[in-house]
Amino acid sequence: MKKKSIIAVVASATLVLAACGGDDASTDTSTADTTMTDDTTTAGDLTAAGEIVVEGAWARTSPMEATMGAAYMKITSPIDDELVSASVDSAISMETQIHETVENEAGEMAMQEVASIPLVAGEVFELAPGGYHVMLMGLSAPLEVGTSIDITLTMKSGATATVTAEVSEDAPSM
Amino acid sequence: MRKQFLSLAVAVAFLGCASDSGSDAPLFGMQRNDPLVVGDQSMPRVDEAGVESRFEFKAADGKLLVVYFGFTNCPDLCPTTLADLRSAFRRVSGSAEKVEVAMVTVDPERDTADRLVPYLSSFVDDPVALRTTDTNLLERVEAAFLASSSIEKEATGKVNVSHTAATYVVDETGTVIVEWPFGIGADGMENDLRILFEDL
Repeated sequence: MKKKSIIAVVASATLVLAACGGDDASTDTSTADTTMTDDTTTAGDLTAAGEIVVEGAWARTSPMEATMGAAYMKITSPIDDELVSASVDSAISMETQIHETVENEAGEMAMQEVASIPLVAGEVFELAPGGYHVMLMGLSAPLEVGTSIDITLTMKSGATATVTAEVSEDAPSM
Repeated sequence: MRKQFLSLAVAVAFLGCASDSGSDAPLFGMQRNDPLVVGDQSMPRVDEAGVESRFEFKAADGKLLVVYFGFTNCPDLCPTTLADLRSAFRRVSGSAEKVEVAMVTVDPERDTADRLVPYLSSFVDDPVALRTTDTNLLERVEAAFLASSSIEKEATGKVNVSHTAATYVVDETGTVIVEWPFGIGADGMENDLRILFEDL
């Protein structure tokens, strides 16, 4: 069941420069020149420029009466970056936001929209129940087992990744 | 994220125990030295047509009552908890006959009976849908469980709901015998149901 999606970063020289931030600019440019071949846009290339890796993306089934849904996944960025937005086809949900479930002073749990999620280069960031999730607001139809949703993630660097989240009743087993 | 790890660790611990002997396995849920008594509380149970009947927070004889406070527009905590319950029920035979599941809506204005009942039915058979628009009554019931909730409406029309995310297991005397904090997961619920069923 474990599904690993490797998505090529929509590469740009500025992205690679960001990845090498702090180093000598001329070196960076030459690095960019050598790595920014056509290969970097294919999933098979695992060079240092790297890809955003998204694993185990899934969305929970939603009952007929629910207008809200949530999707979860593990994201690894090749560079220090921030996840700033997620979007899905407007035919699936009217709006998509990144939310965090937090505990307030009263010990109650509440959700809040977050402007961004910081991603540290090479470290897995997990969106999981009770923590962060991609919130699908205003579902046009129930999310049903056997279907999937394409979610486009946008990073502060400008990189984007589209991941397919399988709809299931529970989190896929590890 | 920490909760995720916790439930994982708990699951591993459970597997370790299970191979020794089942009967001495500890409950994963929380038990108070001075258990909460909720059996003197009651509120309206609604059917899909909106017909109300009086519901007391006590399990039927020889059964358990599981109580959760949530709402249907909840995308993360409520479906996670209810789906974990559904998984645990599937794993422990007899759950459907031995456990009644009740959810009190903390968002009664939007959770009308015709939404609430089918929503719960998608997770468990014959759920108990509890709904009151009497704020004082809702608060009184919540207080008995040491729970609370609040609703804040933004000018944009967005509704923010905060609520206690624990799940309560109540016996036939109306005493809360185990409290499941959010994150205990299906494994924790399964473990506790097996133990609790031994005493039914």
